[in-house]
Amino acid sequence: MDFSTLPIIPITLGTLAVGTVLTFASGRWARWVALATSVVFLLEIGLMFLGYTGWPGRSSTLVPQFGEYQSYPWISLSWLQINFTVGIDGISLILILLTGFLQIATVVYTWNETKRPAAWFGLVLMTCLGSFGVFVSLDILLFFLFWEAVLVPMFFIIGYWGGPNRRYAALKFFVYTHVASIVMLIGLLALVFYSGASSFDFSSIYSAARGLTGIVPVVLFLSLFFGFGVKFPIVPFHTWLPDAHVEAPTGGSVLLAGLLLKLGGYGLIRWAVIILPTTLTQVDPILFFVAFLSIVWGAVLSLSQRDLKRMIAYSSINHMGIVLLAISLNSALGLTAAVLLMFAHGVVSALLFMGAGTFHHTYGTRDIPSVGGINSRTPILASLIMIGSLASLGLPALISFPAEFAALLATWDGLTYLVLIPLIGLVVTAAFYIWMMQRVLFGPPKGIPSDAHDVPPAEGLGMGMLAALAVIFGVLPFLLVNVITMSPITGWHG
Amino acid sequence: MDLSILFGWAFLVPLLPALAFVIIGIWGQRLGRLEHGGWIAVLLSGAAMVLGVLIAVGEMLSPNSYTDVSYTWFHVSASGPFANGVSFVVGTLVDPISALMLIVVTVVGFLVMLYSVGYMHHDEGLPRYYALLSLFLTAMLGVVLADNLLEFFLFWELVGVCSYFLIGFYWRKPSASSAAKEAFLVTRIGDVMFLLGIFIYFSVYAMTGPNGGWAANGFLFVHGSTSFIPIGASGNSTLLTVAGLMLLGGAAGKSAQFPLDVWLPDAMEGPTTVSALIHAATMVAAGVYLLVVGSIFLGGYTSIVLFAIVAVGGFTTFYAATMAVVNTDIKRVIAYSTISQLGYMVLAVGAGFALVGLYHLFTHAFFKALLFLAAGAIIHTIVTQDLFRMGGLAKKMRYTSIAFLIGALALSGIPPFAGFWSKDDVLASVYSQLGAHPEYWPFFILAFVTVFLTAYYIFRVYFLAFSGERTRDASLPEAHEVPWVMLVPMMVLAGFAVVAGLFVFVPSFGSLFTGVPGLATNVPPSYGPTDLVLSAISVTLAGAGIVLAWVLWGNGRVYELPAGSPAHSIRNLLLARYHVKAAYDWVGMVGMYTVARAADFFDRFVIDGAVKGFERSFRSMSDSMRRIQTGLVSDYAAYVVAGIIAVFVLLLFVAPYLASVFGGG
Amino acid sequence: MTTLAITGFLALSFALFAIAIFGILTRRNFILLLVSLEIGMNAAILNFVYFAALAPANTGSTSGLSGQSIAVVLIGFAATEIAVGLAIVLALNRSKGSINVADSTTLRS
Repeated sequence: MDFSTLPIIPITLGTLAVGTVLTFASGRWARWVALATSVVFLLEIGLMFLGYTGWPGRSSTLVPQFGEYQSYPWISLSWLQINFTVGIDGISLILILLTGFLQIATVVYTWNETKRPAAWFGLVLMTCLGSFGVFVSLDILLFFLFWEAVLVPMFFIIGYWGGPNRRYAALKFFVYTHVASIVMLIGLLALVFYSGASSFDFSSIYSAARGLTGIVPVVLFLSLFFGFGVKFPIVPFHTWLPDAHVEAPTGGSVLLAGLLLKLGGYGLIRWAVIILPTTLTQVDPILFFVAFLSIVWGAVLSLSQRDLKRMIAYSSINHMGIVLLAISLNSALGLTAAVLLMFAHGVVSALLFMGAGTFHHTYGTRDIPSVGGINSRTPILASLIMIGSLASLGLPALISFPAEFAALLATWDGLTYLVLIPLIGLVVTAAFYIWMMQRVLFGPPKGIPSDAHDVPPAEGLGMGMLAALAVIFGVLPFLLVNVITMSPITGWHG
Repeated sequence: MDLSILFGWAFLVPLLPALAFVIIGIWGQRLGRLEHGGWIAVLLSGAAMVLGVLIAVGEMLSPNSYTDVSYTWFHVSASGPFANGVSFVVGTLVDPISALMLIVVTVVGFLVMLYSVGYMHHDEGLPRYYALLSLFLTAMLGVVLADNLLEFFLFWELVGVCSYFLIGFYWRKPSASSAAKEAFLVTRIGDVMFLLGIFIYFSVYAMTGPNGGWAANGFLFVHGSTSFIPIGASGNSTLLTVAGLMLLGGAAGKSAQFPLDVWLPDAMEGPTTVSALIHAATMVAAGVYLLVVGSIFLGGYTSIVLFAIVAVGGFTTFYAATMAVVNTDIKRVIAYSTISQLGYMVLAVGAGFALVGLYHLFTHAFFKALLFLAAGAIIHTIVTQDLFRMGGLAKKMRYTSIAFLIGALALSGIPPFAGFWSKDDVLASVYSQLGAHPEYWPFFILAFVTVFLTAYYIFRVYFLAFSGERTRDASLPEAHEVPWVMLVPMMVLAGFAVVAGLFVFVPSFGSLFTGVPGLATNVPPSYGPTDLVLSAISVTLAGAGIVLAWVLWGNGRVYELPAGSPAHSIRNLLLARYHVKAAYDWVGMVGMYTVARAADFFDRFVIDGAVKGFERSFRSMSDSMRRIQTGLVSDYAAYVVAGIIAVFVLLLFVAPYLASVFGGG
Repeated sequence: MTTLAITGFLALSFALFAIAIFGILTRRNFILLLVSLEIGMNAAILNFVYFAALAPANTGSTSGLSGQSIAVVLIGFAATEIAVGLAIVLALNRSKGSINVADSTTLRS
């Protein structure tokens, strides 16, 4: 069967939407519906990969090219043309794969959720639906709708299933990212109208934006950078993240770190860097500075955290700083490394947050100094946290290593000795993870309640999947890199 | 027989222990009858040893052959103006130096694995032990066979993490997990320097590809006699200097050279077998091997780098030996001696004789593994590492005492034991450079004095442990000879410790040291008149050290230095390791943590405070706004009327005025 | 018609409207408020009638009676408004025991 003729993206959007609605409606069967939806989603991603080998496929006339592309007229006015345009290239396909993996891992991990399970699984699916929509949308209105659609379920996930201070955290998260979204929307609309694009489509904006000169594209780029950057998050607009993570339930943290931060990175690449590459070279000192600041600030603050989740949250800021750095380098190697690193961070931080969640309800606290030697009571949990930590600090044979190596090599190529800043960041990253492991996993048992049991099966399975992914793609990174580089990652420079 | 057909199968050498890692890692708990996987590890590392030695022999029989097999790990394609397409490759390179290292790593690895079956018998967590030890071997073999810097770094990091887990093997002990952390973090400092070095080498050497872009195989070592790039050929000698210094930093981390040496003595927290492997064949050897690889494949070092290497090596040699003189922990003394001996190797590389350094690495691997295994035998039977509590063991553990004596003689550099040939070769090589480089003199003298210190401290250990009638601490368990599974590896290593130094005089073996063109070599030692004088002096110094040790400790008694005397305070300084460790702890735990706490404060109260202040200002603004919401219909009506009036005013007066000013319609 | 008449009629409407506004702003009794509203509405209706009579051709209506018909519709509206208003008055009186608007401020939150 020739899968390349299938309009796979609208089909996937449809199944995800139907699955989400069914999950909300199916009461105590919700988790099975959610699981079935996740499996179908993964199968559809598989079809996308099958179809993708035929690249450039039917869209070969477009510049830049997409592996899958569908466009239907949506709103047609004399002065405004909005299409329902979706498409994927290597960058989005990798992140869609991440979405699929995280969705099923989250569903499995939270299998025994007892607090309104139908609503919980529905919101999880809705978050993934929104993320998937963001990754495939090639029309500004569609993109913005999905972008905002992710905020809503996450607001409820934090605000209803969260910790003691959840209302504050949920509101802070929502307002902070929403303000950024407004700036981003203004930037995107201004991009259309200043460039005189014939429609809201990515392709028409892409070709029209070549004509922008002077101060206008600079302002546009910076507003887009701010809009997407808050999602990254960039220092100093990062304080929503630790609060949101600390209060969010485990599944919420997983989706927040694994998917929502990637939306920022993806948006920056898709709507700012690809569309305004020459502007990037004008403003890149700002981006480099922010990236370095995030790298150092994230690493140093992780070192001082007592709360396990807060520590991981700050390490996310550090890693996403490297992603931002790699994107700003504006080279094929840097961009490939950035996408790979986003995938790696999605898997690894999800694993770590799951570990922290299980740790929390096994030991009743997330305070690092008050629990020790858990390797003696819960060796499986300890091993999973260990794999996550080692992957996060960039050890070989685990997924972050090739990505970080490539990113740092690209940094050396672009910025020479400034690469020392992320390198020092690497040392600090190693320091706080290794120190945490020494205090929590090893040493004599301390603060262990008598009823502490090792990982429950569902949670173990969820974490095991992610750990396996970290190893598989760490040993065989070409599986991802080949997909990323299949897209015309440099075509838009010329 | 043509063994060179095996060169293409070299990848199997690291894969065999990796297989053991997987098998034991998955099924280790169910392999109780096979010593929890111990025998599987022995079997597969034995197979790796056979293959590795065969490959090494094949390399000896076809001298100076470079056999490279490489695969693309991942590739970033390039187009457009940013021609930064780059391949990340993995592969195996069989050449003279990797052949030599194959022998060292596989033989010592196999013997340690065999010894472990006896030594670790009563421990728990054996599957973890054998799995990690196998992975450790895999990682080191990967370093040895790597054909490019990326792969080298990959396995180098893997070596680091394996040593982290093995040093922290007894993880319930706080000191063990602390030592593991220290080892990881201190070597990590070296690792990031190495990483920067890789980037620089990459950009210097790989920029020669077509169109000035990066060559597709940019990480591959340049090999073959015609491909060596002379220093400064690309006009980048500043870059090369930085790169060389970074390489030295990486090597100093792994090979425990000053000032990154603090982790190695603490790494004694791991099982003694692990120490033997770390100190002889794997972890610390990787650093020296990196420096050798740098000399051969990366176009050599600039003169500044060479001087830095000499300085680090020469100083470390002496610095570590002084600390070994006073220590009373048998494993720590041997650990300091490792640092000191590594200093010799680094010194030789710095003097321009990389292969001489490799020669010393080769002999040192055997006698150091021997010393550790013998020390392990002692610890195994009497369960203490404190020299002052031991004594009289020669009577109870005859074979162990002979093995230790052979190791000690080899370490001291007494002919004809292995250490003599290689250490003298190092000293002679450095001496030959003194004419051209008078700035090497202080380090040469330090290295020479260390010969005396080395003989003294190792024989101090020997006499304290073995001489006398019985153990000084009567509460210790009765000493007895260890089982054959531990003795056999010691005997084999003892044999190597006697003869390994002479191997280089065999022409086919010696060809491993002469096959690298363009690189100064002094192997096998030539023994001209000067060399003989040097040898005589160094042997005399070593003899003096042994005699002094015998005079002070030979009667089996121990003394305490009088408190307050200068000797006592010097001893305390040495025991405190010159306070370097305390300085590290202070910088790491106090300095860094204080900075981090301050940053956290700033983050919470300034950055997030600004966010909260923003929120508060909005809140107070809306509070003031809602006061006009009285709920009285008449008030709202008044606002409506006021609004209408305002609109009229705007339309009737303001709009015409604006139109007249701006000329609009 | 003369211009004097125009001014006179407009002055009448204006006066009525001003009285209505004054009543709305100052009265607290709900019924008096409704009365004031009616007065204001009548001012508007008067204007409709007057302008329609003044210039039937300018109203854009073919019949020439559109202003007058709107006035009739508005009178109907005023009646419904009073009906709804009085219903609210009754409901308020029942729940609060007063028809003083100052007593009904619950919408403020």
